[in-house]
Amino acid sequence: MQKTLSALVVHDIKNALALLEIDLEQLNHHKDVPPEGRRAYRRCIELKNRLISFLTLYKYDQSGLQPLVVEVELAEFVEDLVRNSQSAMMAESHHGHQIVVHADGERMKPDSAAGGFGMFDENLVELALESALNNAVRYARQRVDVWFEQEADEIIFRVLDDGAGVGVVDELMQRNTAEKSSSTGLGLALCKAVAEAHGSGHVSLESLDGAGTLFTMVLRRVA
Amino acid sequence: MANAPLQCATFFGKLIENEYVHFNKLSALVIDDISAMRHAVRSQLQSLGMNKVSVASNANDALELIKSTAFDVIMCDYNLNSPSSGQHFLEYLRNENILNATSVFVMLTAEAEYGFVANAVEFIPDDYLLKPCSESKLRSRLERLIDRRAFLMPVLKALDARHYDVAVAECNKLLDIAPDDRRRMDVLRRKSDAQLALGDHSSVLETYAHAATVRGDAPWVMMGLARTHYALGEFTQATEIANELVGKNKSYVAAYELLARIRLEANDDEGAFELLNRSSVILPSAKRFRSVAQAAFLLGKLEEAKLNTEAAIQLSNGSMVEKSDDYLSLAQTQVDMGDHMTAIETLEKNARKHGDVGMFGVAKGAILAQAYFDSGDHEKARKLMERSVSLLANRTDSVAMSALGKAALKTGDIVLGMKLLTQAVQASGQDERIIARHVKKSMIDTGHADKVEDVIDGGRKRILLLVDEATKLMRTAHFTEANQKVNEALGIHEENLEVLMTAAQLHLLWLKHEGMDARVVQRAKAYLSTLDKLVPNNQKVMNFYRFFNDIVSN
Repeated sequence: MQKTLSALVVHDIKNALALLEIDLEQLNHHKDVPPEGRRAYRRCIELKNRLISFLTLYKYDQSGLQPLVVEVELAEFVEDLVRNSQSAMMAESHHGHQIVVHADGERMKPDSAAGGFGMFDENLVELALESALNNAVRYARQRVDVWFEQEADEIIFRVLDDGAGVGVVDELMQRNTAEKSSSTGLGLALCKAVAEAHGSGHVSLESLDGAGTLFTMVLRRVA
Repeated sequence: MANAPLQCATFFGKLIENEYVHFNKLSALVIDDISAMRHAVRSQLQSLGMNKVSVASNANDALELIKSTAFDVIMCDYNLNSPSSGQHFLEYLRNENILNATSVFVMLTAEAEYGFVANAVEFIPDDYLLKPCSESKLRSRLERLIDRRAFLMPVLKALDARHYDVAVAECNKLLDIAPDDRRRMDVLRRKSDAQLALGDHSSVLETYAHAATVRGDAPWVMMGLARTHYALGEFTQATEIANELVGKNKSYVAAYELLARIRLEANDDEGAFELLNRSSVILPSAKRFRSVAQAAFLLGKLEEAKLNTEAAIQLSNGSMVEKSDDYLSLAQTQVDMGDHMTAIETLEKNARKHGDVGMFGVAKGAILAQAYFDSGDHEKARKLMERSVSLLANRTDSVAMSALGKAALKTGDIVLGMKLLTQAVQASGQDERIIARHVKKSMIDTGHADKVEDVIDGGRKRILLLVDEATKLMRTAHFTEANQKVNEALGIHEENLEVLMTAAQLHLLWLKHEGMDARVVQRAKAYLSTLDKLVPNNQKVMNFYRFFNDIVSN
């Protein structure tokens, strides 16, 4: 009974949040939206992302994620991801200037046999990469690059920011293990869950000495 | 593609241009039980430039709209806050052939677990989107879907017009220009749909083989192959492929259902029951519960039959897949369990909203008669029987006749019982196998096992013999003689599908070989219109019609 009740409450909150987000989105179509309007929209998106990440992780813990595997054109997927990313759209650095999020076509390496197509659940993977992007954007100085690399039975997504590097990574990893409630830890855990649901893939974060932080998510073919 | 950019919306004052899709020319339907959500999605679509956006709060309203309007895009919420979900609705639309091939169906879902559902079913939407979905993401996805639809458009239009041979020809043209494997698979899937509609099994096997060279493990390819082998009577191959599919995906219900049908053909009722049961556990639906209930009933597993029928009633109550016949099945099961008081309550109280007129009334009266007879009220049973017999008059309805026949046997009117059960089998058409099983069970249950063969095979054997003779005569162009055989068979049962199909085919060949004869044209028309009434939208009948029109117009 208690479980049903909490499920109902959570569902209700999520729906209300979704409506609020769409209202704010439509409101922001107007040219003369005050800064508060934009801020409210950003906060709503963050809150929603946290709730969805949490719910997806909860589902993963309870019964595992069941990816609905479809054929996806990788370059188009990454371009759409960047173009539609709410984190990218809202990205401003701590110094007050816009962060550029860039789908890096030159680094993209489609596998010739697979013809640049991959098989995965685009909604789940998008959810995961959006949270990785959100993280990168928060720590970037000016720029975030996103691309994919494809090998015979693996698809690798990479998100590279030009942020401070090592120190941040340590901090991230620590937060991730110590306390899952922070949004960074939640985001990373979500990425892990989504990668694992795709043929036991994995994720990693590494510091590129002075060149920023590289997030990697590896998906394998789902049997 | 090189059209002038359209101004669709601004975002933070930035102009968003759309080079690909003219959203202002597209119509959409939004189905969501939450009013605010419906309107929110509608505003998003309107922001994209769509002017014609309709909304519906439930599947029943949506169904009416879909029947009257060919929407370009249908956005359906997965959770419709009723026992039947958006997935049930989609399955219903596809099963009943209501959804246009040109309509793009998108499932909106708040749950990541939709993946589980979609992995288990054969009918998946064109796309699914997690809610809430931002407007720019909605735009990207819709652009992609509309783009894909534009490529397939000549094929989709031919499919919607039911010009299946045109559809196949258009597919062949597109296969030559398909830029990549994904498009190629899209086309091959439509080509196989068209060939299946034409009943062209040997060609469809070639298409699946072609698709298998592109992407051999696609579930629709494997399922299609398995189903075609089944239709050709090649049960070993069908079983092998369906098992392979189930091995790869333990929750693929369509494969279990096909395996169950194969078990039934092999008279392995127990095996069929278990497979059907498994598919209803994976993905519950009223239709699946009904199949399990029926298999259980024929096996004499009355408790299982009862529970599954109750589940079907609960799940379909108030929805478009609600069937009054469920109450008949439930009550008959209860009578057979010796629970006549509950059976009476089921029909007189719980099924009240379905009234007691028409064929439902006949069957209801027949089952009530059994219940009252068992309760000792023979007078009431007799009156109910009389009413049902007079309601039936000279109409033929297998389900009603089968129920009434059983009631007659049970209440002691052996002559009437035998007559009704024989007619029930003869009138059963496409459902013959299943009606015959019910009739057989009724006879055994009422102590008439010795007459089963007479009742089930009597008329049927003669009909089959006559059809066989007519077919041979027709092949050697002895049309008048073939027609005599057909008429004799129709004399036994005028609505037997097999005979009517043979009659129609005979008259079409007659016209083709011997030229136009007004009387033959007249009769051909009459047979076709009877068939169209008995089995609306039947592919074979559609093809006869097209053949007929070709001959007449030449």
